[in-house]
Amino acid sequence: MKINFQELTQLLQKFKANPYKTYPVVTPHTGYLVEFKVKEGDYVAGPTGEWLEKPGTPLFVLEREKNPKIIRSSHFGTVQNLRMDLLKKFVEAGETVLEIKHPLTQEEIISEILLSSLLVVRAPETARYILSQELVKKLEQKGMGRTKIKEGDELLIMTFMKRETPIYLKEPGEFILYQIYFKPFELVQAGSPLIGLCPIEDLPYLEKIIHRIKEEWSS
Amino acid sequence: MLIELHKELKDLIDLAKYIGEIKGEDFLEIGKIVEELQSLYLNFYDYKETDIEKLLQRYNEKLREWLKKAEETLTPYEIVKITRHPQRFTLIDILENVYDSYMELGGDGELNLDPAMICAKALLSRRVGDEVFFHQVMVIGHEKGHGEEFRRGGSATPWGNEKALRYMKMAETEGIPIHFFIFTPGAYPIEDPPGAAQQIAMNLYYMSKLEVPTVSFISEGGSGGAEAIGLTDIRLMAEKGYYSVISPEGAAAIEAKLKEGRPPREIVEKMAKNLKLTAKDNLELGTIDKIIPEPPLGARRKDYEFFKRLKYELIKATDEVVLQTRSLKMLRRYALSKQSTESFKYFVNWNLSEDEREILIENRYNKYRKMTQWALLESKGLLKSVTEKTSRFGQKIVYEMKYNILKKSQRTFLKFWEELVSESSLIIKPVSDPVKSVYNLIVGKKARPKVKTLTEIEEDTGLYVSPLALQDKTVTCPQSDKYGCPDLWVPDLYGEFCGVCPTCGYHFPLEYKWYLNNIFDKDSVNTFNDDLSSGNPLNFEGYAEKLRIARKETGLNSALLSFEAKLGGISLVAVMLVSDFRQGTVGVAEGEKFIRAIEFAKLTRRPFIALVHTTGGIRIHEGTMGVVQMPRCTMAVRDYVDSGGLYMVIFDNNSYAGPVASFLGAAPYKFALKSTRLGFAGPRVILETTGQAVPPDYHSVENALKRGHIQGIWDRRELRKKLFFALLTMGGPNLYYR
Amino acid sequence: MKDKVLIANRGEIALRIMEACEALNLDYVTVYTKEDAESLHVRLSKKKYRISDYRDINDILAVADEEKCTAIHPGYGFLSENYRFARRVVKRERPLIWIGPSWEAIRDLGNKLFMKKEAYKLGIPVIPGTLEPIYNEIEAELKAEELLEEASALGFQNISFLVKAVAGGGGMGIEEVKNLEEIRPVFRKIRAYAKRLFGEEGVIIEIKIPIFQHLEVQILGSKEGEYVHFGTRNCTIQSPYKQKRIELAPGFCKNFSYAFEVEEVENQIIEQSLKLAKHFQYDSVGTFEWLITPEGKFYLMEVNTRIQVENEISAKISFIKGKPVNLIKEQIRVAFGEKLGYTQRDIHFKGMSLEFRLIAEDTKKGFTPLSGIITHFSYKPHSWLTLRTHVPQDSPYTIPTQFDPNLALAIIYGENFEDLIEKSHLFLSELKIEGHTFKNEPLVTNIDFLKENLKKVYQFLPA
Repeated sequence: MKINFQELTQLLQKFKANPYKTYPVVTPHTGYLVEFKVKEGDYVAGPTGEWLEKPGTPLFVLEREKNPKIIRSSHFGTVQNLRMDLLKKFVEAGETVLEIKHPLTQEEIISEILLSSLLVVRAPETARYILSQELVKKLEQKGMGRTKIKEGDELLIMTFMKRETPIYLKEPGEFILYQIYFKPFELVQAGSPLIGLCPIEDLPYLEKIIHRIKEEWSS
Repeated sequence: MLIELHKELKDLIDLAKYIGEIKGEDFLEIGKIVEELQSLYLNFYDYKETDIEKLLQRYNEKLREWLKKAEETLTPYEIVKITRHPQRFTLIDILENVYDSYMELGGDGELNLDPAMICAKALLSRRVGDEVFFHQVMVIGHEKGHGEEFRRGGSATPWGNEKALRYMKMAETEGIPIHFFIFTPGAYPIEDPPGAAQQIAMNLYYMSKLEVPTVSFISEGGSGGAEAIGLTDIRLMAEKGYYSVISPEGAAAIEAKLKEGRPPREIVEKMAKNLKLTAKDNLELGTIDKIIPEPPLGARRKDYEFFKRLKYELIKATDEVVLQTRSLKMLRRYALSKQSTESFKYFVNWNLSEDEREILIENRYNKYRKMTQWALLESKGLLKSVTEKTSRFGQKIVYEMKYNILKKSQRTFLKFWEELVSESSLIIKPVSDPVKSVYNLIVGKKARPKVKTLTEIEEDTGLYVSPLALQDKTVTCPQSDKYGCPDLWVPDLYGEFCGVCPTCGYHFPLEYKWYLNNIFDKDSVNTFNDDLSSGNPLNFEGYAEKLRIARKETGLNSALLSFEAKLGGISLVAVMLVSDFRQGTVGVAEGEKFIRAIEFAKLTRRPFIALVHTTGGIRIHEGTMGVVQMPRCTMAVRDYVDSGGLYMVIFDNNSYAGPVASFLGAAPYKFALKSTRLGFAGPRVILETTGQAVPPDYHSVENALKRGHIQGIWDRRELRKKLFFALLTMGGPNLYYR
Repeated sequence: MKDKVLIANRGEIALRIMEACEALNLDYVTVYTKEDAESLHVRLSKKKYRISDYRDINDILAVADEEKCTAIHPGYGFLSENYRFARRVVKRERPLIWIGPSWEAIRDLGNKLFMKKEAYKLGIPVIPGTLEPIYNEIEAELKAEELLEEASALGFQNISFLVKAVAGGGGMGIEEVKNLEEIRPVFRKIRAYAKRLFGEEGVIIEIKIPIFQHLEVQILGSKEGEYVHFGTRNCTIQSPYKQKRIELAPGFCKNFSYAFEVEEVENQIIEQSLKLAKHFQYDSVGTFEWLITPEGKFYLMEVNTRIQVENEISAKISFIKGKPVNLIKEQIRVAFGEKLGYTQRDIHFKGMSLEFRLIAEDTKKGFTPLSGIITHFSYKPHSWLTLRTHVPQDSPYTIPTQFDPNLALAIIYGENFEDLIEKSHLFLSELKIEGHTFKNEPLVTNIDFLKENLKKVYQFLPA
C-alpha cells in the first residue's frame, strides 16, 4: 500500500470545508403522520449508551393499522427541512419527512477516508447483503480490526433475485477486516462499498494514515 | 498513666461519634460533645493529668447515660445502622474471641477466593467441672472487615458461596458441627458462574440434608445472601442485628417508585419499621429461634462480655440440636440444669450415629415445614374444604396401601422402589406401545391445529382464545429494528403464533390462562388448595389493600396456582407462579402451596412441573416470613427428588431473585422459553451494588444457557410438544412417571 | 356506492386485473414499491400508492382503508395464497371482499399433506406415500418398505423414493432415494434440514414418478355452489427448478398417440377435481394439478388456490354461449357474489393455445435469474397473439432485483396443433429483446430455450 499524503490532505480539506453529512429520514411504510416530536433546528441524538441500548430521539409518530409507531433518530445532529405539510396526512412509504444534518465525527471521517486506502469489497449487484455466519462468529470473538481473513473465505451472503449467493474473497493474501459500510438486509446499490479490508503487511501504514487524520482533525 | 488516659479519650471519642452516627447528629447534644472531646484530644498535653482524669470521668458518665437513653429510643432503622457500622464486631472478631483457636481455610485476607466469605476450622472449649473439653467445628460465614473495601461489606460472590458449600461438605465428611455466621447485606448479584441465584439454590438444596448439626448466628441477614448459609437446625440472632427480605432503602425505592437516586429518609424509616426486621420481630414471627443479647447500641469489637455470652449460646445451641436427636428426657434435664457462661453441667458428644443423623434431618424438615404456618389463611369452616380433606385423606390411604411409602423412615425408598418395579411391570405397557400412542397424540393434534383459529372460536365457544387476540390492530415487534420484522396483526399474534413473532422468534408475554389451556390435555387441569390465601403477617402498612386489589383483579387468592393435569396422557402435578398476582412474588401462602403440591406429587408418585409465568422474587411485604419460604420449599424439593421424583422448571418472561435462588434454581431440569430474562437481581440493583452496568442481554436465556443455568431454550409454539418429550425422555424408569 | 378494488400485485397480472376491473366498470387502486416505479402497471394506473413491500399486509390494508376500497385482488404469488391475509381481509373491523377462494380453502388446500389426506379419503388418486409426517428413522424405514410393496403391486418398476420435508416446496428440502439402505441417512438429513430451515421436523416419503406429463384442470366455483371447468392445460415444459416455461391448452393433443384412452383420463381428472372443489366449497378460480404417467395413471399433486399465470390459454380456447371468456373477470364477478349465469353445457372449446414465459435468465448457467437494463423490446402484433407485459416499449427498463425477472407472457392461438406451432415459431423469430447487465454484458433471455423446447410439447418427460 502506498500512502498518497497529498491526496489525503485534499480529502481532509474537503471534509473540513463541510464537516457534515445529511441523512434523510424517510417513512418506513405508509400511514398517517400523527405528530411531530421535533421542530426545525432541534438537536436530536442517535442511539446511545455503551451497548447503544438507549434509543434515539423520537422524531415523529406514524400510525398505520391502529399502531402508532414512533420513528426515532439514528444519528445525532440538527433537524432540517421538516415537512410540516405532511402532518395529519396519509403518507406513502419511503417519503422523506425531515433531514438530519449530522456533524461528522473523527471516526466517520476516518471511515470515509479509508475507503480510498483499503481494499474495498463492493456490491456486485443491487441486492441485500449480510455478513457470512463464519465472519460474524469470528468478529464476535476477535472484534473489528482484529479479525483475519484470507483468500477463499466466505465474506458475505447476497440475496439477489430471490436467491442467496455467497461472496468469497478473491484477493490472495491475508487481510484484516477493518470497516463495514452496510447494514444487514438493507438494499445496497451495485458498486457501493460493503466491507473494507487491510492487507496484514500494510497494517502499520494504515495506522499511520489514521494517526495523521486524527492529528489533522483535532487541530 | 497519661498514655492510658489518652487511649481512654480516644475510645470516648469513638463512642460519642458512634452514638452520633447511629442516632443522628441531632441526638441530645452529641455533636457538641464530639467537638469538645476532639478539641480535648488536640490539646491533650496542655492539660494536667488530674484534670483530664476528672474531665474524662464526667464525659464518660454522660456518655453512658446517653447511651442508655439512645438504647431506649432505638428505632428499627437505627438498629440497621448499628448492624452495618464498621465498629460492629465481625466474624474475625468472633473467631478471635469466641473460639479457642482457628485456622482459616481457602484464603487469607485479600488473598482469598472470596474475602467476603470465610471458612475456618475452629476449636471450642467447654468447661465441665474441672475438666476442659474441646469441640472441633467448622466455621463458615461472611466477613464485613470493619470497612475493608475488598470484603465488599460481606457480600459473597457466587464462587464464595460455592466455597462455603465445599467446606460444608468437608465438615459433613468429618462429622463435625457447622457454625454459620451471617453478616451480609445480600449476595453479590452477578451471574458469573456458578451464578448468584443458582449457587444459593445449590447451597440450600445441600444444606437441607447436611448430616451434621448446624447452628447459624445472624447479625446482618440480607435476604437470599443470608439464606445461602442460613438453613440450619437452630437460628440464633444478635439483639442488634437485622434480618430482612430487602434493605429498608431498597424497599423505600420500590415504594416510592424511584428509578434512581436515594429514597427520602422518612420512607426508609417507615420501611424499616414495616419490614419487621429486628431480632425481636423475627423471634415473634418464628423465623429465628433465639436472641443473643447485646450491650446498649450493640456489641462492638471490644465487648468481651458479649463474646463470652455468644460462646456459651453457641455451645448450648449445638448441644440442643444434638440432644434432640437422642432422648427427650436428656434434653429436658439439660434444659432445666443450671449452667452458666463459665461452666457447663454436661459434656455433650457432638458426634452423631447413623440413626441420629436420620432424626436430625427429619427434625430439620419438620422445623422448616412448620415455620410460618401460623400465618396461613385458609377457609376451614367451608363444607367444600372438609369434603376435599376427607377425599384427600382417603387418597392418602389408597396410596399408602398401594405403595406402602408413608413409613416414617424415608430410607426405605430403595426397598419400596424394588417393590414398585415388580408391581409396575404389570402396569406399564410394553415400551413401544406408549411411544406409539404418544406420537399419534401429537401428530393427531397437529393435523387439526391445536392453536385455535378465528372460525373455530366462533364455532366452538368452549375453545380458549387469548383475550389479547380480540382486537383489530397491529403491534411492532420490539426486535424489528434488528430483524426487520413486519408489524403483527394482534389476532394472528395472540392466536396462531402463540405470542411469538414469526420473523425473529421474540416471545410476547401471554396471560397465564393461555398456558393452562394450551399445554395440558383438554379439561385435565384440576386446581387444588385454591382457598389458601396470602395474609398480612407483618401488618405491613398498605399491603392488605394491595392484596385485596390483587384478589379482585385476578380472582386468585395467591400468586401460585397448584393443579393436577395430564399431558399426552401423563398425569402430573404442577404449580404456576402467576404474573398477574403481585408479579408472581412469593410469600407464605405461595410457599405453603408449593410444598403441599410437591408433597402431593411425592405421595401420588407423579412428575412435578413448576411453570414460572413471572416471578419478581420474595414478596417484600411479608418480610422474612417470605424469605424463609426459600429454605422451606427447597427442602421439600430435595425430599421429592431424593425419593425419586422428576422435577422440572420452565421459566417464561421474567424470573428473578429469591425463588430462582431456591426452589426453582434447585431443580435438576430447568428450561426457559425464548425472550425470558432470568437471574438474581435486575440491572439497576447490579449497578448499585457493583458499580458496573451490565449489557442489555445480561439476563437473556442465551446467556443463561451459556452459563449452564438452564438446560435448554424452548419455543412457546412447541411448548406442549417439548414438555411432553421432556417427560418421556427424563421420566425414565427410575423417576416418577405415569 | 361503486365498488373499488385494491390490486395488491405488480407487473403484468396487475395490468390484467386493471383491465378486468375496467371491463366490469369497477374503480381500482394500485400499489407499487420504489424499485417498480418504471413498471407499466404504475404508469397506466390513475390512482396508485407507493408501499414498502408487496408482501406488507399492513401497507396494503392501510391503502385500502385510505382509498375506501371494498375488495382486494391479490393476483398470483406474493400474498395470494396467504390464508392469514385472506382471513384478516374478511375478519377485520372494516372487512373487505377477498377476490379469491375462502381463507379456509386456501389454508386447507394449501397444506399439501392435509389436502392429500382429504383427497385420499374421497377416493381421489394421490401419489403413493405417507399421509402423516414421520419423525423417526425406524418409522421411516418401515413406511418405505410398505410403500415398496404397495408400488410393486401397482406395477411400478425401478422404484425410487422421494424424501420430502412437509414444510418444504419448490424443490427445497427434497431428495431422491434409490434403495432402502439410504432411507435412514437421507431421512435424518432432510429432517435436520427441515428443522433448521422451516422449524418443523415432519418428513414424508413418496414414490417417485419417473416419467410423466403435468396436466392441470381449470375450475371455477361461485358462492352459490355452482361449478364449471374450463378444460385442461399441459405444463410439462419446466425449468429444472420446476418453474413452468411453456403451457398449452388443452392438456392432451389429438396429434399425439397415447397408450390409454385420452378422453377417459381427461374426464376423470376433471371429475375428480370438481369432486374435491365441492368438498372444500371452493368458490373462486382454482387449478388442480395432476401427474399423468405414460400408462394413463393419474395422481393429484396440488391445488393452486389463486388465478394462475397461464389462465389465459384456457380462456382462449373456451367460449361461453359462443362468446370469449376472461377468467379474471369471472373471478371478480363471483367474489362479489354474482351467479355464474351459465352452466357447463354453455361452455364450448375450440382451437388450441400456447403460452411462452419470457424471462431474463441464463438457461445455460443453471437458469440464473438476471438483472439489467432492457433497451429494446419489440414484437410484431398479430390477431392470434396476446402479449402481456409490464415492460415499457418506449423507454429503457431496469429489471428490479427483488422479483423474478419475468418480462412478458406471449399467448398464441391456433386453429390446430400445426397452426399453433407454426405461429409460435413465427412469434419467437419476430421477437426482439435487447439489453445489458450491470456488468455491461448483453442481457440473455430464455428465447432459445423456448424455441428448443417447442419440439418437446405434449411428450412424456422424465422428472
